[in-house]
Amino acid sequence: MDKSILTLDKGTRCTAWNYSGQRLAAGLLDGSLLIYDSTDPASSTFISTSRFKVQESSILKVVWVPPEYGDAVACISADGTLSLWEEVNEDTEGHHWKLCKCFDRNTSQVLDIQFGDAQTCLKLVAAYSDGQIKVYELLDTLELEKWQLQAEFQNVIDLVSNFGNASCLSASVSWNPQRSELQQSSFVLGFSSNVPALNSPKVWEFDLDHQRWLPVAELSLPEDKTDQVSAVAWAPNIGRPYELIAVATQKGISIWRLGSNPDADGRLSAQKLATLSGHDSEVWEMDWDMSGTTLATTGSDGVVRLWQSNLNGVWHEQAVLAPAS
Amino acid sequence: MPGVTSDTGELNSLSVVPHTLDTQNPRVYPLRLHRVTRPLVGLSISWARGNTLRVSLLQTDDAASEQSPGGEVVEVKLGSADAGEIPEAQWRRIAYGSVAPFALLQSRKNSMDALHYEKDWWEHVMEYSKEINSLLGNTKSSVTPTIEDPKTVLKKVEEPTSLKAAWELMEMFYADKQSQTWIPERLLDWLADFDCLFSGTQPTVHAKLVAFQNELVTIQAVENHPEYWEIMSSALAVGWLDVVVKLLRLHGSYLFDQLGSREIENGLVEAVALLISEMPRLRPDMPPEKIGECYSTKPEFMKAWEKWRAKITKLDCSAFWLQCDHQQTRVGLKNMLQVMLGNASVLSNVTYHWIELYISHFLYVRPFTVGLESMYNLAQKCMHLKPISYRHKLMGLIIGILEENTEVVLAECSRSFGPWMVTHAIELMAAGSTQAETLLHEEQSKIGGICIEELHRLTYAQILSSHALTWNIAPIYLTSCMKQGLGLLENLLYKQPVQHHQVLLKSIEICRLNGLDYVSYNMMKIAGVHYWKHGKKGSAVFWLQQARDEVRLNRIAKHLFDFVGKSVSDESFKQWEGMIELLGTESKTAGGLEFLKKYRDFRRSLQQVQGGVTTDAARKAAEALISLMRNPSTPQQFWLPLLYDSLKLLNWQERPLLNVSQTNLLLNKLQELSLARLLPGFVDAGLPSEALQSVRLALATNLGRAILDE
Repeated sequence: MDKSILTLDKGTRCTAWNYSGQRLAAGLLDGSLLIYDSTDPASSTFISTSRFKVQESSILKVVWVPPEYGDAVACISADGTLSLWEEVNEDTEGHHWKLCKCFDRNTSQVLDIQFGDAQTCLKLVAAYSDGQIKVYELLDTLELEKWQLQAEFQNVIDLVSNFGNASCLSASVSWNPQRSELQQSSFVLGFSSNVPALNSPKVWEFDLDHQRWLPVAELSLPEDKTDQVSAVAWAPNIGRPYELIAVATQKGISIWRLGSNPDADGRLSAQKLATLSGHDSEVWEMDWDMSGTTLATTGSDGVVRLWQSNLNGVWHEQAVLAPAS
Repeated sequence: MPGVTSDTGELNSLSVVPHTLDTQNPRVYPLRLHRVTRPLVGLSISWARGNTLRVSLLQTDDAASEQSPGGEVVEVKLGSADAGEIPEAQWRRIAYGSVAPFALLQSRKNSMDALHYEKDWWEHVMEYSKEINSLLGNTKSSVTPTIEDPKTVLKKVEEPTSLKAAWELMEMFYADKQSQTWIPERLLDWLADFDCLFSGTQPTVHAKLVAFQNELVTIQAVENHPEYWEIMSSALAVGWLDVVVKLLRLHGSYLFDQLGSREIENGLVEAVALLISEMPRLRPDMPPEKIGECYSTKPEFMKAWEKWRAKITKLDCSAFWLQCDHQQTRVGLKNMLQVMLGNASVLSNVTYHWIELYISHFLYVRPFTVGLESMYNLAQKCMHLKPISYRHKLMGLIIGILEENTEVVLAECSRSFGPWMVTHAIELMAAGSTQAETLLHEEQSKIGGICIEELHRLTYAQILSSHALTWNIAPIYLTSCMKQGLGLLENLLYKQPVQHHQVLLKSIEICRLNGLDYVSYNMMKIAGVHYWKHGKKGSAVFWLQQARDEVRLNRIAKHLFDFVGKSVSDESFKQWEGMIELLGTESKTAGGLEFLKKYRDFRRSLQQVQGGVTTDAARKAAEALISLMRNPSTPQQFWLPLLYDSLKLLNWQERPLLNVSQTNLLLNKLQELSLARLLPGFVDAGLPSEALQSVRLALATNLGRAILDE
């Protein structure tokens, strides 16, 4: 059953739903951000409730801050800046969106960001066009203004090498969606760049003893290590003894199984379960459903594809949703 | 479109349940565009709760006119129901109604004594099945004749659903142990109820009967019409004996004005009608309107059957036929006798699809058939004789059941009848067949170690989750899943819009029932932060306290300090008094808030001192001051303002209010404060520069006077 629930304004370039699917943020070509809200939880009609200017240049991506920190979004603009906006109600002005933080930008641009670790200390991973990964930490649980750079590193397994003049077109980050405070926080990140070593997706985990991020797995076969990565997505895990991560490169979508027990070197076993081809060229987005069993993808072929494993563990394309004219 | 070549389907039928039997190419489902036109510049996807996928379709700017929108968001609910047979509201009624029987059966299962398992478990399952069945509609047999109007052979009843038909099949073959010996008769009843479902796609006896009834009002002498005889043979073949007898009695020879000329003819008609009424049936009982002689044991039935057949043969060879002048009657009645004698080619001629033929074989060719294997063989024979032109979903299910292929039955249930059906029917299957039970409960390592039963429950729960009116019954099914149910429940709860009060309360209740305290704390935390940011500070503090979020409460306490710490005369303090009252109720959760309550009490007594001049009140205020300054939770930034506000107490005219040790304590605090001034992170209270000096002096004076006193 399909139905249209919302009409987007002219010039919309990207959209993002909040945690409960009750609000949509839409980034526009002219640098404005629009917020659409549903009036009550049972209704699925949405109306635009706020519109404000974020930047002069087009908004490329919007990401909601985890709800434990309020109603806030992070916006990446075409000029590579990253800013955080929050909805507040102050006595003098009523409901409004205010700029909380504009992250410093030097020469490199922000390509992708994701928030993680919402249960303990909110973190923000940002991937930059020079191949750097920066992890910021929120200092104050009630104020989104104060962030501290926790770590900065490159997406390489061999931590000593440094690629000075990398130029990256895109990047994709995905946090392990687990909420348990017992497990260390981790994320997967891949680049599409001119430096092959940066490209392959690596799983980074925070090492509490040494207070640093360590690469614990690399999700590519030896012959595919240089492939440019267009998207990564870490599946929710509701009780599997292993993790599932989807990786999209120009060769197709691959599903990886990540073991949970580290070996002597602290590495996790990674096994490629499937290579799926469907979108003829670039994959734009990937999203797992809340049980972590169905993967939805979109790509430059203009259709939505749904992927699933059957009972024999064979991954296959379940359905195609094609916009009809 | 490149890559999109395979067949297309209806979105309603799109299911996302994994099967072992999935081998076909992916089907293509068209997404209708309501407000935008192609080409599209972008597509964005996001899963909402459950099985809901939202697709943002972004349009190119130059594509359309000024008025056209920039895009739209289409919401797709995957595999939520079967193809529109049952309206949504009805579905929700079924979904809600099936919760209680399901939960009762689960709790019985959990508390079951292993010894009693085999003996009476099926009785519980039958009780469950009957309750579920009653939710699916109240279909009475649609081929029941009514007595009132002789020309009405069919009662108009509410159209039954294939869902109910499917459920009854499952019940008949898996759950109902009592009817195992007379399954052919049950199938006959089933077809009488549901033959109309096949009418949409192929000719059926039911459809012919309906058509004939419509004609009946205009027909004068029915016996002259070939359809009359055809329809009676057909109805007789599928065992609708009451209909046939009623139709026979419409025969013209019964009319009074025919006496004298058509007695023999009438006698023959009545003889056939009598034989039909006496037909032996292998079943314990029958509804009152049905006809035939019931025999519950096989030997008795066989004896009666032989006798009955002998009577038919005898009538068939009777000499009276030669005296029957009406040719149509003679041929028609003879044909009916052939049906009753089990003439295979006649049966094949008068039935329309294989299930009808199948029933006729049970009745007249192989009345003693027992066991699924022989039933399956017979079904195959009938399908061979009447090839399937359109494979109705119920046919797929019957074949799966008869060939005892659990996987096919599961796949048919879930594909054709949806996740509700498969989730609830699994209980019947598990009770009815050991082979099915093993398959349903075996852990599947390839799908993360859950069993098929759990997989289907999870899928069904996802569907319930996707609707705001049904999400709250999903937990019943999730908690019956041993391995991944709670994990999915957690994810579902985290996606609830907790700023809506009712949703939050319901979620907390669900957490409480399932021991998910940490999840409810997190939801209360989200609600608290939402209220805090949106200016509802009281609600914010309440929910953060419920969430036991000390970090944020302490942070809020610090925030309040900034407001209350300025001066006694400051009006802003009044605004915060109510909040402090609220904070005080569970002050243990955060030290900073405990301070605020004490501080409020101190401020009150200080105000009394400033109003009146009784030494008693002043003494109390001084005690409150000492208690505040002693308390380790009093923030350093408050020390000086507290003392500055208390200057009047320190300089009390009548007598010193503080003794030597108390004064020393305050002096020590003052010294600590001047050292802290040099450290980073020191918060200046923003008092006038002479404040420190005047406090220092007042304390010295008080100390001096105290020493003199002691």
